Amino acid sequence: MRKVWAVVRREFVERVRSKWFWVTALLGPLFFGAIVIIPLRLSMSGGGAKRVVVVDGTTTGFGVRVADSLAQNRAFIIAGRAVPHAGLLDSLREEVGAKRLDGFLIVTDTTVETGAAEYHASNVSSFRHIEELSGVLGRLAVTTRLERAGVNPSLVNRAQLRIDLRTRKISGSKTTGETSAQSFGLAYAMAIILFVVITIYGVNVMSSVLEEKTTRIVEVLVSSLRPFQLMLGKVVGVGAVSIFQFLIWVVGGAVVLSQVGTLVGDLAPPEATAQQAAFQLPNITAATIVVFLTFFLGGFFLYSAMFAAVGAISSNEQEARQAQQPVMFLLMIAYLSVFALSNNPGSTYAVALSLIPFTAPIAMPVRWAVGNLTALDVIPSLALLVGGTVLVTWVAARIYRVGILMTGKRPNLKELLRWIRTA
Amino acid sequence: MNGPVVALDRVTKRFAGHTAVDGLSLAVPRGVIFGLLGPNGAGKTTSIRMIMDILEPDEGEVRLFGERGAGRDHSARIGYLPEERGLYPKMRVLDVLVFLAEVKGVSRSVARPKAQDWLERLGLGDWRLRRVNELSKGMQQKVQFISTMLHDPELVILDEPFSGLDPVNAQVMKDTVLDLRRRGKTIVFSTHIMEQAEKLCDELCIIARGKKLVDGALGDIKRTRGGHHLVIGFDGSPGAAQQVFAERGLVKRVDDYGQYAELELAPGADAQIILQRLVASGARLSRFELMEPSLHKIFLDLVGPEAARAEARANA
Repeated sequence: MRKVWAVVRREFVERVRSKWFWVTALLGPLFFGAIVIIPLRLSMSGGGAKRVVVVDGTTTGFGVRVADSLAQNRAFIIAGRAVPHAGLLDSLREEVGAKRLDGFLIVTDTTVETGAAEYHASNVSSFRHIEELSGVLGRLAVTTRLERAGVNPSLVNRAQLRIDLRTRKISGSKTTGETSAQSFGLAYAMAIILFVVITIYGVNVMSSVLEEKTTRIVEVLVSSLRPFQLMLGKVVGVGAVSIFQFLIWVVGGAVVLSQVGTLVGDLAPPEATAQQAAFQLPNITAATIVVFLTFFLGGFFLYSAMFAAVGAISSNEQEARQAQQPVMFLLMIAYLSVFALSNNPGSTYAVALSLIPFTAPIAMPVRWAVGNLTALDVIPSLALLVGGTVLVTWVAARIYRVGILMTGKRPNLKELLRWIRTA
Repeated sequence: MNGPVVALDRVTKRFAGHTAVDGLSLAVPRGVIFGLLGPNGAGKTTSIRMIMDILEPDEGEVRLFGERGAGRDHSARIGYLPEERGLYPKMRVLDVLVFLAEVKGVSRSVARPKAQDWLERLGLGDWRLRRVNELSKGMQQKVQFISTMLHDPELVILDEPFSGLDPVNAQVMKDTVLDLRRRGKTIVFSTHIMEQAEKLCDELCIIARGKKLVDGALGDIKRTRGGHHLVIGFDGSPGAAQQVFAERGLVKRVDDYGQYAELELAPGADAQIILQRLVASGARLSRFELMEPSLHKIFLDLVGPEAARAEARANA
């Protein structure tokens, strides 16, 4: 046991001493913060208000109403209203090309009848602007149609009261005050962190194994320790570094998150306050932390064992990079399913992913963050994860034991199976 | 306890497709320098790895210090230097030494001062806080010795200890080995360089193709294996010495260098007759000496191409 402890200690001390560790520790929160904040900030501001021209092909004054209504909207600046004539569209396109204009909106009489309109712009992927435009057009079209049908305009206004749908998550049977954006944000952040940290530290275990193998120091080590003790010490040592890294991130992350409101608020227009609410720290309960850490540890041990085996069968970095692909692929399955998992945490697919040990470490915490789950949902997944980890570690230890003393050609699948059987 | 320090009892190890060690038995008494000799691929490293518990024998048993269990259980009492050496390139010298002692079961508080002492002794005192990859190759070799000897082991196992050493470190290695024996330690080392083995070994075992060919004390092996060897030096003209060498009744084999020849006498032949015949043949002699064969010669007789052909005939 004391020998294992020596390995744990070495892995921990040597890693924490390295510059690389502190760079990751300090830049980590900034990196995760950037991943979450930048896309939201960009989609919210959409690069600011758009300068547009309304091409008014209507004969009923509908175009004037659209232009007036958009002029009230902070997302747009109306550069003018033009009646279509030959060459108009070409000259507008030139204006857009010269960046003096962001786009133009074409409305005709049929817009009111069928709802068809056209928006030509240099950027048509800003959701905020597209949503605003279709909102304004839709409301005005409905108003116009109702008025033509003889409905009292004041009645129309009253009928068009905007809906402000606020979402509040129910957890257990208590309302948490958490919005859907917050619970998705939490699930998404968990998935990113789990994926990144398991990958980083799994690869760390792999390169540590590879280093001992390529420097041949492993021969001295396994004359003193059992290969399993060595592998265990390594995985626990690297795991301890990752937990220490988390602690630094939690502190650092809390600081960054407390500043997010200001960071986002700077550029966001006032009506974005509803979206800003998504940036308040989501409601993280003790149970969520326990689930997150438990599944992190399970996933870390599971994948570290596999990465250790990958290191053991490779004889240099290039080989290891190739051999780690299948392991990375397994880990990616759950990560790439984050949207499916959070949209429908109760689906068969989601339940299956959270039961399979290879995907559970990411799938289960994601489902937990968005769904209303109890311990009964978690326990089977955890039991399978623990069982799977023990089994995979057993297999990996056998590959590791033979592999670390092998040199030369990487074993093929058939040889691997023989190692597992006979080691 | 007077039993052997290392005992192998009919140990066999097979790898896919071939048998690396085949029913090998040997015993290393306490306080000797024991040479495990053999050509490349004879099974030396595999045998040592089984002694060290790095590989498990498929058959047979390894006993160390008269107790069950191979190297790992006794790691605090054994110093092991593998053939392919390595250290953690990015660790500090002192930290590597302390760590390697710790995994053998030595506590940090004991290992640290000892490592410092050794570094001072081998002139690396100023380098103890440097990283291993800043050291020259020769210095790294010294650090590697220290890691083998640091915990003052009773049994030292060295796999090809002289390969790749510069002359200075080879001297340090030789002195360390002799010093260890003076202090009553047991040393097992493998080599395929017979001159070294001949100078250092008290006892030895020669293996080839995984099988033991001969073992015992160096002197005994020379006496029993040697046959009669004759060294002849000519002073100017060898005369008709060639004709004498060609007489199968007297000379079994000759290794003729022109001015110098080594003869192996035919069974029952008398060296004095050969001397008479040579003088009669008109040869002028500067040297005529009956001697034991070199270990190199014995080794070649046992595992050289002729021995291989003889074995092939026997198997056919």
